[in-house]
Amino acid sequence: MKFWSKYKTKIVLAILAAVILTGAYIWGGNYSKNPGTAVTVSTVGPEASEQSPATSPTPSAAVFPITSPAATASQNSPAVSPEAKPAAAPDGSSEGVYAGSKEYSESKGMVINSETGKDKYLTDPVPEGKPLPVEPQNAVITEKKLTCTLSVRCDTILNNMKLLKKDKWKLVPKDGVIFAAKTVTFYEGESVFNVLQREMKRAKIHMEFENTPIYNSAYIEGINNLYEFDAGELSGWMYKVNGWFPNYGCSRYQLKDGDAVEWVYTCDLGRDVGGYYAVGS
Amino acid sequence: MRLGREVNMANRDTFSSYHPVINFLYFGLVIAFSMTFTHPFCLLISLVCSISYSVYLNGKRAVRFNLLYMLPLFIVSALMNPAFSHQGATILEYLPSGNPLTLESIIYGIAVAAMLVTAISWFSCYSAVMTSDKFVYLFGRIIPAMSLILSMSLRLVPKFKAQIKVVSNAQRCVGRDVSNGGIIRRMKNGITILSIMVTWALENSIETADSMKSRGYGLPGRTAFSIYRFDSRDKAAIIYLFLTGTYIFIGACLGGIRWRYYPTMKGVVFGVYPFSIFLCYFALCIMPVILNVREDMKWNALKSAA
Repeated sequence: MKFWSKYKTKIVLAILAAVILTGAYIWGGNYSKNPGTAVTVSTVGPEASEQSPATSPTPSAAVFPITSPAATASQNSPAVSPEAKPAAAPDGSSEGVYAGSKEYSESKGMVINSETGKDKYLTDPVPEGKPLPVEPQNAVITEKKLTCTLSVRCDTILNNMKLLKKDKWKLVPKDGVIFAAKTVTFYEGESVFNVLQREMKRAKIHMEFENTPIYNSAYIEGINNLYEFDAGELSGWMYKVNGWFPNYGCSRYQLKDGDAVEWVYTCDLGRDVGGYYAVGS
Repeated sequence: MRLGREVNMANRDTFSSYHPVINFLYFGLVIAFSMTFTHPFCLLISLVCSISYSVYLNGKRAVRFNLLYMLPLFIVSALMNPAFSHQGATILEYLPSGNPLTLESIIYGIAVAAMLVTAISWFSCYSAVMTSDKFVYLFGRIIPAMSLILSMSLRLVPKFKAQIKVVSNAQRCVGRDVSNGGIIRRMKNGITILSIMVTWALENSIETADSMKSRGYGLPGRTAFSIYRFDSRDKAAIIYLFLTGTYIFIGACLGGIRWRYYPTMKGVVFGVYPFSIFLCYFALCIMPVILNVREDMKWNALKSAA
């Protein structure tokens, strides 16, 4: 009893702190999402899910393979060399991701630090047959006009409308397509970022980016006012070229004629769009 | 006429003569509302009321302070937002960096700047009305140590400023002020004065604490320096504050003054219900100014009658 009256405040404070931490642990964060979730192509519009939020699939819902226009586009694309078949990515990674090859990357001139296993902008080796990063400051942009296809989609949000703030519901198109796949012109030597910036400006679609010096690339924070972390803390914009999610920034991906560039919004660190990189395996 | 005005100056602010509970409750409500309501009308109401009250309290000094510091602060913080935030659906122009300049970010910057200036303005009124003896009167018994620390730290800057003048004048008499000698000499003198000040501040705070303790501060049954009576005028004021505060709070909770800036600006603008909340909010914020003006009118009427 004496002990209690002496340390009353301290005991109460300790219990309070424990309760708050437990609460924060339980309610805060959705990092431990099921890694098996994949996008289920949904035709449910934002209005429909407004009325019945139950339509969003649970993580245990059937997993459909992703059929993206890039899969067909890459077949007749001259950019992909058919002989080079990239190795499968480590366990847990998505299908749009391949294992990097150190021999291939070094033979093409990528300088890899032997200690970290990465180049000076913290990029892991690139998979076999994939283009190496080209630093934007070294890129030579010519007058030669080339074409590629560009699309911007956010259909994964349709399954996660509950996570999105109500103020932003109107920004999500019913079919999830912000910028429908379209053949656009670019100049030889330009990067994915250059094309995105120009086309978004031309289409009067809002886009915000931030230059990140340690990765020597622009980071796309938001397109059409849909920002990173808007649909949960695992959400943000990712890009893929010819079905592959590059492991470096969009300012360093130099485009080739006929490339298919897709910008997709993920709500689950890339798992739902097929671009998740498993770490540590 | 002139004499009457000057005599009245000593306790000119009628609102200050109310019970400390009223003063504290009023500032608590007004500052909390000003910092949480983002509706443009609410910001405007609060800004106008806080500036008019600070001008009423501090006169020319407040006008000069507002123009010299608050206006540049307002402009800088209004420009800061669109420079760093590029959210918003209405793209006006593209910045040299390549990011869009949006209408929403500009308006939001102005709104935040208005909120900042309003809060500073309210706090300048607060420090003029809620003197440290009032604060200690209110909280001296509930949280004695905390209220002493608060009132001491709030008093530190003005006290420090006054003491630095005293020390500096004393040093000037012996030729060791920052205005004497060459640049190195001046710097040396300045450091000496600073060292004197730091020593003084530490010693003074210990002395204050000791002196308060030796006078039995915080012991049960001890009375405060100032004695306030909660009279019928205070009763009316507390009912007024309670009614308006509750109405505004409920209205805000029900979304009567809803407003969003991003991605497009949208919110409640017209209608009887939101208008009643705005009116109530104005009535709450303007209360001390109204009390003062009414008292001044009464005073002038009595004087001319006599």
